[in-house]
Amino acid sequence: MIETIAPVVNAVLQEGTAAAPAIPPSAAAALAVGLAALGSGYAERGIGAAAVGAVAEDDSMFGRGLILTVLPETLVILALVVVFVV
Amino acid sequence: MSLYGTASGGRASNYEYVIARVRSRRASLFDDDDYRKLVRMGTSEIARFMEETEYETEMNALGARYSGSDLVEYALNRNLAKHFDDLLEWSEGALYNYIARYLRKFDAWNVKTVIRGLYAGADLSAIEDDFIRAGEFSEQRVDALRNAGSIEEVVESLDDTIFGASLAEAYEVYEEQQVLVPLENAVDRAFYETLLDGLPSNPERDSATGLYVQFLRAEVDFRNLRNALRLARSGAETDPAEYYIDGGKLFDQQSLTQLTANMDNLVATVRDSTYGDDLDSALSALEDAGSLVEFERALDAALLEYADKLSTRYPLSVCPVLSYILAKEREVDNIRAIARGREAGLSPDEIEQELVIL
Repeated sequence: MIETIAPVVNAVLQEGTAAAPAIPPSAAAALAVGLAALGSGYAERGIGAAAVGAVAEDDSMFGRGLILTVLPETLVILALVVVFVV
Repeated sequence: MSLYGTASGGRASNYEYVIARVRSRRASLFDDDDYRKLVRMGTSEIARFMEETEYETEMNALGARYSGSDLVEYALNRNLAKHFDDLLEWSEGALYNYIARYLRKFDAWNVKTVIRGLYAGADLSAIEDDFIRAGEFSEQRVDALRNAGSIEEVVESLDDTIFGASLAEAYEVYEEQQVLVPLENAVDRAFYETLLDGLPSNPERDSATGLYVQFLRAEVDFRNLRNALRLARSGAETDPAEYYIDGGKLFDQQSLTQLTANMDNLVATVRDSTYGDDLDSALSALEDAGSLVEFERALDAALLEYADKLSTRYPLSVCPVLSYILAKEREVDNIRAIARGREAGLSPDEIEQELVIL
């Protein structure tokens, strides 16, 4: 199956010589930001749950809990740089 | 399947939340200094001290009805029940299952309390005060237990629980002999048998589940060891196999029967086992002085230390919860020992020897 696909793909790829890439740079940058956001969201899920638990036991943990919860957000900010680089 | 409760219905575990709360509570347990202070207080001072701590609500609720060390004891039980109920309320999925498995020992306690109360003809409120509502049984079930008029009704009302089958069997023996031992054994046995039931029997040694299983096995082993030692010391003409609990790795039924006959062999076997290092000093004390009480405290301390070690090695697993449960139980035992000891007029040094402090 793969052997049969390869020539077809080759043909397709060679066809448009002035070709635009499948994912244009701005779209790729958007994807990068989106994936980074997904990752930090997943990280924040666990930290947020733990932070809420800690705050429920001790109110003074609110500030620290909040900071730790948003730390993974830096991932998205760094990924945002990509948008300006492209 | 009612055995594991409905709350676990295929949901993912929420380790982060539960463990953050549990760690906070573990940190606020009494420490060495508090114990040192408590040991030097009289019973009423202990009660006043406890009113200013974690136990405030319970002390106030029960203060009108009891005084002295009874007040302390009932407040401790209620507080314990509150905290352990919280654990079950917070946790979801597999975590719930793991915790409930261990906390069912309070169900066993409640069942035994009712049976003993009925046997001795104690009145309802006395039975109720001795309940520790920490297990998996719902409020309604515990109330139904309390309101049961006879031991037969108790056995019937537990029909659909883990205790059902073995209790029904034991009840026939009870009817013939009119002694409680078979019923109590049946309850304990049902608890310990479901403790390991359904867990992977050969999990990866170094995973959190593996260590949890190891821990439960250690618990079963220590229970067997305690029984064996007590039988060996008392020299009673009882068949040790009757009290043997399956699932540990230290003994099997036959070796236990042989070892109980000879105290020195038993100690030697334990020394050569995997627990040898942890229990070394305790075993020496046992050999020298033959003090069983001291050895049992060393067992408790070893178990506590082991659970603590696990909780730092696997922060996101059931282990921290387990270590909290054990620590809380020890705290309740310690305070009770202090209160009762002071009431009986023991000296601070004597009481301090009774405590399990890491």
